[in-house]
Amino acid sequence: MTAPARPLPALPRIGPDTAPVIALTEVGMTYPNGKVALIDVNLEVPAGDFLFLVGPSGAGKSSLIRLLVREQLPTTGRVVIAGSDLAKVRRSQVYRLRRRIGVVFQDFRLLPNKTVTENVAFALEVTGAAGDHIRDRVPRLLGLVGLHEHANHRPSQLSGGEQQRAAIARALVHDPAILIADEPTGNLDPVTSWEIVQLLIQINAMGTTVLMATRNQEVVNAMRRRVVALENGSVVRDELGAAYERGYEL
Amino acid sequence: MGFIRFLGFTLARAGQGFWRNGMMSLAATATVVLMLVLLAGLLIVLGGLDSGLNYIESKVGVTARLVDDVSAQRIEQISAEVEAVPGVAAVEYVSPDEALGRLEEAYRARGQELDTGGAEITLYASLEVALSDPEAGDEVVAALALYPEVERITTRQDQYDTLLGVIGLIRTIGLVAIVLVGLVVVFMVVNTIRIAVYSRSGEVEIMRLVGASDPFIRWPFIVEGILCGLIGAAVTVGLVALAWGPIQPLLVSVFQMPTAVSDQFLAGLAVLLVAVGLVIGALGSWISVRSNLSSAA
Repeated sequence: MTAPARPLPALPRIGPDTAPVIALTEVGMTYPNGKVALIDVNLEVPAGDFLFLVGPSGAGKSSLIRLLVREQLPTTGRVVIAGSDLAKVRRSQVYRLRRRIGVVFQDFRLLPNKTVTENVAFALEVTGAAGDHIRDRVPRLLGLVGLHEHANHRPSQLSGGEQQRAAIARALVHDPAILIADEPTGNLDPVTSWEIVQLLIQINAMGTTVLMATRNQEVVNAMRRRVVALENGSVVRDELGAAYERGYEL
Repeated sequence: MGFIRFLGFTLARAGQGFWRNGMMSLAATATVVLMLVLLAGLLIVLGGLDSGLNYIESKVGVTARLVDDVSAQRIEQISAEVEAVPGVAAVEYVSPDEALGRLEEAYRARGQELDTGGAEITLYASLEVALSDPEAGDEVVAALALYPEVERITTRQDQYDTLLGVIGLIRTIGLVAIVLVGLVVVFMVVNTIRIAVYSRSGEVEIMRLVGASDPFIRWPFIVEGILCGLIGAAVTVGLVALAWGPIQPLLVSVFQMPTAVSDQFLAGLAVLLVAVGLVIGALGSWISVRSNLSSAA
């Protein structure tokens, strides 16, 4: 795999005057079956940041993502997203939070009986968006992710990379402040993986905070972005311009 | 505008769901029809019996046959005293001539002529006591029995009581049967919607992730259940309307239900069937959505 030829966007400025869009304070999480998923996690992500969340299977990456989208609540500590303490968000209001966070997954999760356009439009229809807004927004998003020509194709007619692009377009329908990508390249070949990462960088450059959970060492090592490493539920490393593993040299 | 979009979305999704979940939707709708046909049958029978009861109630009264040659003054006195008994609406003296006139009229109504074979017949004079309270029959009988001029007393109270008992029994058995079938229907709708929720779990997950609010996620399933109930009700109303032709003369002749009343009865029955279909569909789907579709967290 080769690194991207064009220059990367500048790293976002991280400093005390940049309000974190994600803030976890001493977060612990234990599942009802007693399995401890996270221990005393502290993490601040400023708006516009791009960070890799790395770690082996079972390290707690997926649990952390479940907390961020409020599928779960922490057992201890506080999770604050865009200024909202998730423990204080009423269940009936969770949908408002989720419109501020786009999520993409390794398995794309597209609806197989809908075209690409319909999949993206569906995310707007289910939130009561007006028809005019949907007709305007969907083609623009498909243009952004490079799927214009496949607008009327069903997922089964697309490659893995194209399906992931469709999923990214869907995740962006509400113009979210945060895009969470959970192993977005896990099912893709190396070249397609790079294309997806390039797309995420492009989205980040437009101002969206991107948190990408991955085990793709080549991508992380080549990108030299902020890396948060989890092991056994704890943050063991949080470095700017870092590699997948401590002490890695290009 | 927001509510109209929500309504449009909900109706479209419910319709798609009903269609896609075809076999289960059909089964649930068929059970709704079964229950509503039972309900309609029970209500028609009860309505007929109620009409019959009203008819008898209007006729309930006490007839006191008088001995011969009671003076007009005495008849007036007895009438006034009986009229003072609580529960008595009116007391009417029927002379032997009037009684004969009525008999001849009754024959003519059946298309016959009273044939006495040339003999002159004399009927008894009587006092006909109309009751404002059907329960007062016993007291009136007791009051009339005190007069030596009263030869025999007849009443329709027994007939009334028997019919009242039959109506009570049919109502109880019918309601128990309908409640049992109703439970089966709710169970069917619950299962239909449960299968719909599972078959669309992928969509529901995506809806949650992209920030659909609970009403957008839940109401299409609830409306899908309501559709089962409403379609079932529409089919039942159609069946009742088809059967109404043969049933109506039966209600009029057997139960003495007036035609105008039976037409009103059909309209009321149709409204009730639609309401029950709607409620039972909504109830079943609401229970299913509550237990199978946890809220947003």
